[in-house]
Amino acid sequence: MKKIATFALVSALLASTAHAQEKITLTVAAFPSLDSAIKAIIPAWNKKYPNVTIKLQAQEFADHHNAMTTALATGQGLPDVMAVEIGYVGKFAEGRGLEDLNKAPYNAAQYKKLFTPFTVAQATSSDQRFIAMPTDIGPGTFLYRKDILDKAGVNPATMMKDWDSYIAAGKIIKAKTGAALINTAQGIYGVMSRTNLKPGEGIYFDSKNNLLVGPDNARFLRAFTLSKQVRDAGLDAKIGEWSNEWYDAFKKGTVATQFSGAWLTGALQNWMAPDTKGLWRVQNLPEGGYALWGGTFYAIPSAAKNKAMAWEFIKFMTTDKSSQITAFTDNGAFPALLTAQNDGIFNKGVPFLGEQKARALWRDAARKTQPIDVNKYDSVADQIVNTELTNVLEQGKDIKQALSDARAQILRRAR
Amino acid sequence: MQECVPLPTSPPRRRWSYDRFQQRFAPYIFTSPFFILFLIFGLFPLGFSLFLAFHLWNPLDGLGNWRYVGWENFQLALGAPDQFWVSLKNTVWIGLLSGVPQHLVALPLAFVINQALRRYQGAISTILFLPYITNAVAITIVFGMLYSENLGLLNYALSVVGLGPVRWLAVPDLVPVSVAVVVFWRYVGWNVILYLSGLQAISEDVYEAATVDGASNVQKFFYITLPLLRPMMFYAFTLTIVGNMQLFEEPFIMTGQGGGSGGTALTSAMHIYNVAFRDLDMGYSSAMAWLLFLAIFVLSMINNYLFSRGGGRS
Amino acid sequence: MTTQPLETPIAAAPRPPRQKSRFNGGRVGLWVFVGIACFLSLVPFYLMFVWATLPSEKIFAVPPNLWFGNAFVENLQKMMEATNNMALRQFWNSLYIATLSTVTTLFFCSLAGFAFAMYDFKGKQYLFGFILITMLIPPLVMDIPSFLVMNNFLKWIGTPRTLWVPGMANAFGIFLMRQYIVSALPKSLIEAARLDGASEFGIYTRVVLPLIRPILATLGVVTFVGSWNNFKGALIMRLSEDSTMTLPLSLRKITGGASNVNADWGATLMMVVLTVIPLLIIFLFASRQVISGLTSGAVKD
Repeated sequence: MKKIATFALVSALLASTAHAQEKITLTVAAFPSLDSAIKAIIPAWNKKYPNVTIKLQAQEFADHHNAMTTALATGQGLPDVMAVEIGYVGKFAEGRGLEDLNKAPYNAAQYKKLFTPFTVAQATSSDQRFIAMPTDIGPGTFLYRKDILDKAGVNPATMMKDWDSYIAAGKIIKAKTGAALINTAQGIYGVMSRTNLKPGEGIYFDSKNNLLVGPDNARFLRAFTLSKQVRDAGLDAKIGEWSNEWYDAFKKGTVATQFSGAWLTGALQNWMAPDTKGLWRVQNLPEGGYALWGGTFYAIPSAAKNKAMAWEFIKFMTTDKSSQITAFTDNGAFPALLTAQNDGIFNKGVPFLGEQKARALWRDAARKTQPIDVNKYDSVADQIVNTELTNVLEQGKDIKQALSDARAQILRRAR
Repeated sequence: MQECVPLPTSPPRRRWSYDRFQQRFAPYIFTSPFFILFLIFGLFPLGFSLFLAFHLWNPLDGLGNWRYVGWENFQLALGAPDQFWVSLKNTVWIGLLSGVPQHLVALPLAFVINQALRRYQGAISTILFLPYITNAVAITIVFGMLYSENLGLLNYALSVVGLGPVRWLAVPDLVPVSVAVVVFWRYVGWNVILYLSGLQAISEDVYEAATVDGASNVQKFFYITLPLLRPMMFYAFTLTIVGNMQLFEEPFIMTGQGGGSGGTALTSAMHIYNVAFRDLDMGYSSAMAWLLFLAIFVLSMINNYLFSRGGGRS
Repeated sequence: MTTQPLETPIAAAPRPPRQKSRFNGGRVGLWVFVGIACFLSLVPFYLMFVWATLPSEKIFAVPPNLWFGNAFVENLQKMMEATNNMALRQFWNSLYIATLSTVTTLFFCSLAGFAFAMYDFKGKQYLFGFILITMLIPPLVMDIPSFLVMNNFLKWIGTPRTLWVPGMANAFGIFLMRQYIVSALPKSLIEAARLDGASEFGIYTRVVLPLIRPILATLGVVTFVGSWNNFKGALIMRLSEDSTMTLPLSLRKITGGASNVNADWGATLMMVVLTVIPLLIIFLFASRQVISGLTSGAVKD
């Protein structure tokens, strides 16, 4: 009898405490390096919500999005919070698996003005559902090795006036220092395809889903032509991004410049080439262009179990200034939250960039960047165009021919 | 293990009918797990993918939100400038680059081991078989490091001889070669083992007789070994064809989703995977998967035909 | 040096000395040929072990380092860090799935193989033919729908079951077993056991199983290796948490290329070694039986 009584008492106690605390496990699916930012913010989150445990599912970048696609397809097996990269947000927005944050109980309309404007447009579907909150953005930037440019006697401001002076400067750098201008000629295309978009244009499609790629499109024609010029002049190191050679080139200073998102600075200083501290500077893109280079969002799947808590988590990550700054300092995830962009940190110099006040420069660039229209066939077009560009650079294929071949292939696929 | 002791006998009449029952149904029960599993994990998926091949479906629209498009997905894949053709060409090319040398090396290697080095056959075949059992992800990482342009061992070795550097994973024409080397490396040993077992089935007497007739080793290889090895060659060729046509992990991990510089290592399996999971076009992807199946089937049949036709002559 | 059992040749048929002498002239050439092949087979393994003991910055260096370093412990720590201390858990996950997969495959495939080899029953040819045809279906076709089955009907997503249950009774295994049993077991043995009053299942456990040990070893190793190396399955079935991942998935995560800030070669190589070692151990123990068993069933029909 005694035993049973004790047992009953204990279980009653256990049950009541469990009730009082309401332990919740929140599943968050993300990819590197976002997972590192989340980990950095979890201590602050746990202070506010001691009963909510964050279960972080991090997979390789492409694997993560593939897994999310499958889960959304079937409407099950979904996390409570899903990180979505900018390359996928357009596709995911057109699907039906994510919560419309415009609606109650989220009523996210009130938060939209808090963010860098174009991010809101990107997370909005064609039928005006708002499916994800922006957490970081990637203002496009031009990184250069000050020491190499100085040695060659090249002025970075005149160099970035237009593309012709960029290439001319590259020839001087090559002759005087032996360093390559850029890792790969394809990088030129990378910038040019992203900049100087007309209103209503995306990179590959316009807002009415018309394909822009083709031999008659000035932007693509020029991007291909200049890329080829750089290759033919022997100015690029023919090194692919995210390769061991790339990291090595940064460490050894065999490549003088690089176009990328502002976040690359974080990667450079954290792990790619920490020893080059102080040697780098940044500038805006050539010809007064502004471009978007990366960005991340958080969404709530409609089939999520803990939507209320998921929403709290997302708000904590995206609308809380200190969370945004934590992520920024952890790995350079540039805050999408406007108030975070007014933090004191933006007026401080960046030690890695020789105390240059680069963050203010990026903030300025972010505010001037126009929204880019995203299309669900962007990934299809991206692969096809880049393959054709390789044919031009490596096998001397005619540029107009390459562009019209690319156009034909994309048209078939974009149904 | 002599434990086949008779069970304690029960009343004969009941026993007899139960025996009949269990003898009759035992084979069905014993083989049923396969069919039950196939019903659950095989039949539905197959039917569903065939269904999808005739529909336009973005998986993000959820189940049920698909549109019937007839043969459009197949027409799309087979139309002239489509990437499916390119991927099929890449697949066949990598398949040939890795498959042909595989057999050209494995066959003589097995012959030599069988003829002259029999005493060490166990140790040798174990060593040669090792690459086959390794993890593709792990070994592809190692090969990726060997291919590294400025830092890899391969280019270092070349530079010692005054050559290079070769851009193994950057020149479009070289990428398939680099991938094929990994595939070749992984499967040579496997083929050696297959051929060795085939060779061991050939009677010693045949060789003895040939020796008496004064045949050289080269003659023996071409006039005895090759013809008698045909069944095993057919088996090994078929496995190579089926495996190479579905090549996925090696190029996927080595060159990334896009198939490397110029997309020259984009195999059909990778393309099908990309179209499904990256481009979210399930119908087109399913159609291509079935076309690939058809291509594999046709190639197997051609292989079969070549072997049976040649078989009549020998 | 290799382990003891490997020294014994597979088929110890002594060659007549007369024949042997004929080869002496070209023997050096033969050894060179075979030696190069063995050397090339082993080099990548050697390198991965060497690299795993080198500090990250020395793994990629010109000129290359080809001898062991002393960063083994350091790399081990880095690997644990990169996997959030879950590397051993992930090792266990892989081991758990591979073991269950192997045990169940051996049981169900040998049972079915036995039935196809030793019984005459209605529809046998069709059933067996059907099984063979399923071997031709590219697994690619099944990716998405399999996920649907696992997810919507069974609600198994994210669990190890998704990886070992579907393959328990597979076509390749049944085919291999059937071929071996046909050639290795006389039907009279079964008849005798039956006359002794053994039940059909009893015949399987007491007569068949003990006699087919070599092919069980073969199928066991092939299954274990296949399961251990299964990358795409784990990817699709979303064993995606640090605590549920299998090794290949984890390896891919820590070498994630494009977006991985933690890509450290020391950690990566240590994980490569961790992934490969069990395969090497198992294979070295069973290689003789695997090689002979794998080929014995294949040709005979």
